[in-house]
Amino acid sequence: MTLFSLALRNLKRRPIRTFLSVLGIGLAVGSALALVALSRNIQDSAREATDEIGDDLVVMQKGASDIFGGLIPEQIVERIAAIHGVANVSGELVAFAPNSSVKSVLTLGWPDASYLWKKVPLREGRIPTAGERHVAVLGDTAAASLGKELNDELDLFGQTFRIVGVARYTTVVNRGLALVPLIDLQEANYRPHQVTIAHVKIERAHSHDELERIRGEIDGLGNVVAATTNEVLDNDRNFAIAEAASLAVAIIAVAMSALNVLTALAMATQERTREIGIFAAVGWTNGQIIKSIVIEGIMLCAIGCAVGVLLSFFAASAFHRIPTIGNLISLQPGIGLIAPVVGAAFLLCILGALFPAWRAVRMLPAEALRRM
Amino acid sequence: MIAIDRRTALFKSSGARSLIALRRVSRIYDRGAIPALRNLDLQIREGDCLAIVGASGSGKSSLINILCGIDYPTSGHVIWEGRAIRRKRDWAWLRRLRIGIVFQEFNLIPTLTALENVELALLGRGLSPKHRYTRAGMVLGHVGLDHRPHHLVTRLSGGERQRVAIARAIVNEPKLLLADEPTGNLDSASAAKIADLLFNLHEMTGMAIVLVTHDDALAARCTRRIRLRDGAIVEDSLRTLMSGPIGTKIKT
Repeated sequence: MTLFSLALRNLKRRPIRTFLSVLGIGLAVGSALALVALSRNIQDSAREATDEIGDDLVVMQKGASDIFGGLIPEQIVERIAAIHGVANVSGELVAFAPNSSVKSVLTLGWPDASYLWKKVPLREGRIPTAGERHVAVLGDTAAASLGKELNDELDLFGQTFRIVGVARYTTVVNRGLALVPLIDLQEANYRPHQVTIAHVKIERAHSHDELERIRGEIDGLGNVVAATTNEVLDNDRNFAIAEAASLAVAIIAVAMSALNVLTALAMATQERTREIGIFAAVGWTNGQIIKSIVIEGIMLCAIGCAVGVLLSFFAASAFHRIPTIGNLISLQPGIGLIAPVVGAAFLLCILGALFPAWRAVRMLPAEALRRM
Repeated sequence: MIAIDRRTALFKSSGARSLIALRRVSRIYDRGAIPALRNLDLQIREGDCLAIVGASGSGKSSLINILCGIDYPTSGHVIWEGRAIRRKRDWAWLRRLRIGIVFQEFNLIPTLTALENVELALLGRGLSPKHRYTRAGMVLGHVGLDHRPHHLVTRLSGGERQRVAIARAIVNEPKLLLADEPTGNLDSASAAKIADLLFNLHEMTGMAIVLVTHDDALAARCTRRIRLRDGAIVEDSLRTLMSGPIGTKIKT
């Protein structure tokens, strides 16, 4: 017999309490993992999506709090194109478009001549021809979740679009996109001659000096700011708020798991006061008694964390199947995420176990032995 | 048997070393409301066989609790082999290696087997699990329980449980065995066997033994008897001549 087998025996002895404690810790750790993964993946998904479309700079309204939060005049796109060293530039209007099936579709409007159309990885169909109106190219998961196929009609903003192509992007966000002609989206959103951002491709993007020069020239156009994708996303207020909120809820969830351990062990310790008196009576030191209670807490926490990690993967899989979530984000808790969350849970659980242990050893053994 | 007026003079004549001594020990509960022990002086020497008798509430259990450090005196000192014991850690060390305790209610862990209950007292001694297992099994054999080591203690009879408790108390080969009414919860047949076991252990190992008991017959088998009344020792008697195995150990 060891302290571990003794702790295990104690946990087995009260199966319902152990089960509920493990479940409590598991739910707390699982939700903490899911929340942190969610906040990270929203940002990562947006970053991957922007990278996949491929640009060197993003131009947005100066002072806009997030990537979708500003508008810039369409004419500025032409002025950017005129800057020496700019290879391509395309305006883009971004909108979440409600459709008749009440599913919101992330919709991008690109001008007819945009270089971005040429980079669409078509699975089937084609891109819109010049001047063609009310046509759309859907990402494959958007098509699947909306139940649409090539040449079907799609209702966006109360207008009917014909699906002329289905794209096979690799990132989750882009696979859920609807791409339409810019002018259609501008009309539908009452945003004539306006775009949300401009994508800029630079001839010598690898040259830092060149990139900085062009950024400076774009910034000089007035009321716009050019930034790399990473800079835009890192400074995005929405992402920052989502990350902070998720982190706060995750901390609360992990703290709840510690509280679970504390409650479970405090109750178990209370019930076992007499036993703790026996341990003391046979010569166990305070350290040994504390160790035995903390080992029990660690065991609860270890099983709870394992359950939590499994739950988070289950949640990731379940979320992936929900179109409104799965089309926008990819929720995958990785080792880099699991390690700190589980580490924090362990730390809190040990602290949670120490309190009842400390209380137990403060009592005189004779007093503990008198307890029923 | 002769009555001794003052024990101090008597014990100074004994050649055995002092194991544990109480110096003006008082234990008062409920902030002065209940004095359980009053200015008690007591010395227990190596090889002593001492019975503590007295009416209920006379302070017998308080005295035994103080002697093994599971309770602390309100005033006075407890001295082990000439050194005053004050720290909780020192008491834990004494209970682990020098003092064994047997309780009336057995105080065994119900979810553990007989062997595991004995092993409890060996945990933290730096012994290997195999060594602990072997040693616990061997001591269970000494107390006559080698046939039921893997039974949960809840499935053992009262007498068997007390044997497990005794095995646990002696597994570390203590110098002093304290037994608080060890036969109090047993039927007469089991009580007699447990008493025989305790006295045999005393005879074979030479460990000092202190029995708290209401049983005059049991007390009579001890070489020394103290009587408590209202938390004070009112009688301390020593047998000088007695037939039987332990009587010959006493020299006065």
